[in-house]
Amino acid sequence: MSAPSAGDESISRRTFLGGATAGAVALSNLRLSPAAAAGAPGSNNEPLPPVWFDGPDPGIPRAGLRWAFSARVFFADRVMINTMDSPAGRGYTSVGGGDIWGPRLQGRVLPHSGADYYKTTFTTYYMLQASDGALIFIHNRGTMRRFAGPYERGKPLLPPPPPPAKQDGVYTRFRATPVFTAPFGPHDWMNHTVFVANSARQAHPDHTVFNYYEVL
Amino acid sequence: MSDFVVPEANTRILNPIDLEYAFKLTAHYEPPQESHTPKGTFRYQDIVSGEVSGARITATVYPNSGGQYDTVRADHVRDVDAHFMVKADNGEWLYFEHVGYRRPDGYYRAIAYIETDLKGAYEWMNNTTFVVTAKESADQREVVFYYYVAN
Repeated sequence: MSAPSAGDESISRRTFLGGATAGAVALSNLRLSPAAAAGAPGSNNEPLPPVWFDGPDPGIPRAGLRWAFSARVFFADRVMINTMDSPAGRGYTSVGGGDIWGPRLQGRVLPHSGADYYKTTFTTYYMLQASDGALIFIHNRGTMRRFAGPYERGKPLLPPPPPPAKQDGVYTRFRATPVFTAPFGPHDWMNHTVFVANSARQAHPDHTVFNYYEVL
Repeated sequence: MSDFVVPEANTRILNPIDLEYAFKLTAHYEPPQESHTPKGTFRYQDIVSGEVSGARITATVYPNSGGQYDTVRADHVRDVDAHFMVKADNGEWLYFEHVGYRRPDGYYRAIAYIETDLKGAYEWMNNTTFVVTAKESADQREVVFYYYVAN
């Protein structure tokens, strides 16, 4: 990824801001409908059962994941200091806004509350606002790896073919590991729970969806 | 005020995370040394040694290469912050970092970040997210960490 020229940046910035603003306007002054807050059956807030994973022998403690909530994050500005192939490369992608749903947290991404200040890995700082108004700080570290194809349990993940080979079938695994700082009260559980997330970029408008899982 | 609308983007379209067991690390520590700080009780624990075993790695913790730099908070939860070095049996070095929580109810979980040689046998660990579940001995001198890859 290289730094865009001034002309390129103004165009891409306007495009990104257009998408982010549409999201932010729709999400301003939100409040939860009672059905969504209750996680009514058929809604996207319905809890999912935890999933447990074992080791190869019974002496290994199992590890469990349970979907906690999801977030849709719209980004705004994209800036690069130096280039990513330099040790001094630092990207800035600001958070325009977004929304949060799921069994354990509903609300919004506080518009313009922070950014991803990434190097080769993501380092994201911004604010969430729960439907009860609580402000929750998220510090999200994330990584990505690229593979020749999608993950299948029990099969080795192979490296992608080096360019100039076609990258069409390349599969990207995004993982994020957030640390939350939440106020005392109903969201205090986030202060002492380890989370892991997957994420995927979505188009029209450009945004990223994160699924956050509690590590049980 | 407009109603919150549950978004159309149904996240169940994303593949759920699959945890795959990778290896365990048995760590041996000096007794913790605690000091009172503005941020809570700082708890330093020197990592003396350790053994790593699993299908894809055999290694040892490099003696005295770091340890636990935890903070015991007012709610008695321990913020875990660990840094140390591991040397594999093929001579390659790995840097380990743990970030997590150790709670009074026995919940001890962390995320491990590992950095190692881009051309080495353990390159697959770079930018791989490990979910760690830990068992601490009663005297807190031994902790066994179990690492699962978040696939």
